[in-house]
Amino acid sequence: MTTLFLYHGEPTGPSLTVLAALFESGLAADLLHIDLAMAQRHAGEVPLGFEANYSVEGEGPVLVVDGEPTVDSVFIGCLLDDLAPQSGLRPTDPYLRWEMMAWCRWMIERLAPGAAALANIAWTTPRLAALDDAEFEGLVAPIEADDLRDRWRQTRAGLLSDDHRKASEARVHEATKKIDDRLADRDWIMGDFSLADLESYAWVAPMRDLIPAAFEGKPRLAAWLERVKTRPSVARALAQAQKPEPAHGFAPGPEINRWG
Amino acid sequence: MSSDLTLYHWEPNANSGKPMLTLVEKGVSFNSHYIDLLAFDQHKPDYLAINPMGTIPAMTHGSRLLNESTAMMEYVEEAFPGPAMMPDDPVDRWRVRWWMKFLDQWLCPSFSMIGWSIFIGPQVRARDPRELEAAIERIPLPERRIAWRKAIYGLFSAEELAESRRRVDLGIGMLEDALAKREYLGSNQYSLADINLFNSAYGLPSQQPDDVNDEKTPNIMRWLRSVARRPAVKQTWTYSRVPRFAERILPLIEEATA
Repeated sequence: MTTLFLYHGEPTGPSLTVLAALFESGLAADLLHIDLAMAQRHAGEVPLGFEANYSVEGEGPVLVVDGEPTVDSVFIGCLLDDLAPQSGLRPTDPYLRWEMMAWCRWMIERLAPGAAALANIAWTTPRLAALDDAEFEGLVAPIEADDLRDRWRQTRAGLLSDDHRKASEARVHEATKKIDDRLADRDWIMGDFSLADLESYAWVAPMRDLIPAAFEGKPRLAAWLERVKTRPSVARALAQAQKPEPAHGFAPGPEINRWG
Repeated sequence: MSSDLTLYHWEPNANSGKPMLTLVEKGVSFNSHYIDLLAFDQHKPDYLAINPMGTIPAMTHGSRLLNESTAMMEYVEEAFPGPAMMPDDPVDRWRVRWWMKFLDQWLCPSFSMIGWSIFIGPQVRARDPRELEAAIERIPLPERRIAWRKAIYGLFSAEELAESRRRVDLGIGMLEDALAKREYLGSNQYSLADINLFNSAYGLPSQQPDDVNDEKTPNIMRWLRSVARRPAVKQTWTYSRVPRFAERILPLIEEATA
């Protein structure tokens, strides 16, 4: 019998994906809420191995499987699907699986870095800026990866270059169009519901408050957002919120592509 | 060759080598279509008609197009019979996927930033400037256009290159630790993660002999030899056309199989 402990933040971004994927899988897990935006992942209580310390996703949830900490929401989703193959989190046809993984990679590699940067500047920077220097440095001191700790410092300072801001906003527009186009002949991204809906929703939905123009005139996108939100697994994930605006509960995420 | 599977690839290393070595390991026959990256073949209309993203590698299976090299490897693994390139245990499978993402997004871009600044940039910069600008303008993905511009004109800043060198140095230590813990990168079984890493790391002992050698990184060396010894690796290098790449790997293969 596999034992699962899920350390998660507010139900937004990667924490939302993993909570909902867990509920889709039907597997039993102990849920442990932590404040990712206050670096609670590094406060000593959450088991972190090498992979968690160097997760490309940054400050996402940690699913501890029989003692081993696993990270990166899309791959946790695949792991839950491997543990509960009837979950429907991934299509069974190899080509559809390729398509789903390529879709998810676009979301985590192209959209997520920009979406995380915009969300952090809007909602996390003020929380971190309110801390005094010593308190903040105390929170980030245990972080093992230097580049992740640098992203925390940049987030606190509210640093985002004009080029990165513009590119990040363009990504949000591209993502909403990509989803709206995709839904021309279907209700879910892959035809049937899948991990691709969760991962896309978790990054895209919080952007409504920041880039409303990207959502205008896209009725299929609007209907899909509602469909995902009211799916029982997602509704249950959203019910784990401890703050009035759970969508705003971001922490430093994936870095913006160093190649441009 | 008559197969309904065609692989569009450059040299059998880095991203092009990933699906190629997976296909060869599984014994899947395919048509090879060499795309010359240094001649910008990947941005020409003939190729864009096949893969509108203009990235290499791409694969067609019947009428279906596949791109994104790591996702392609998983497709090859799942769509064809042959030896398993993924472990059975779900957590091992997760670790293989974790490593592939870490390599694709954190470590290998640092390898390639250094490689492009030393080799590919100077190589293509010698061309006619107007021809180069036209080639850059044909690139369909905006982020690839920025990356090529930086590579061609040597626009990586000293800070960016220093960060890449930091990651490579740190990465060598991480790989040594991981390979001390397990026989292969993601698990105790040869898998897609090893294919992914080998295609970018085979040159480390010759390029950074002071950092990667039998004294400092015995586990990386053991692992490199054990992968280099695989007949499939040797077979993929029959598709190489740029001697500079083959010259770096053939001595390793010879030494490992001696």
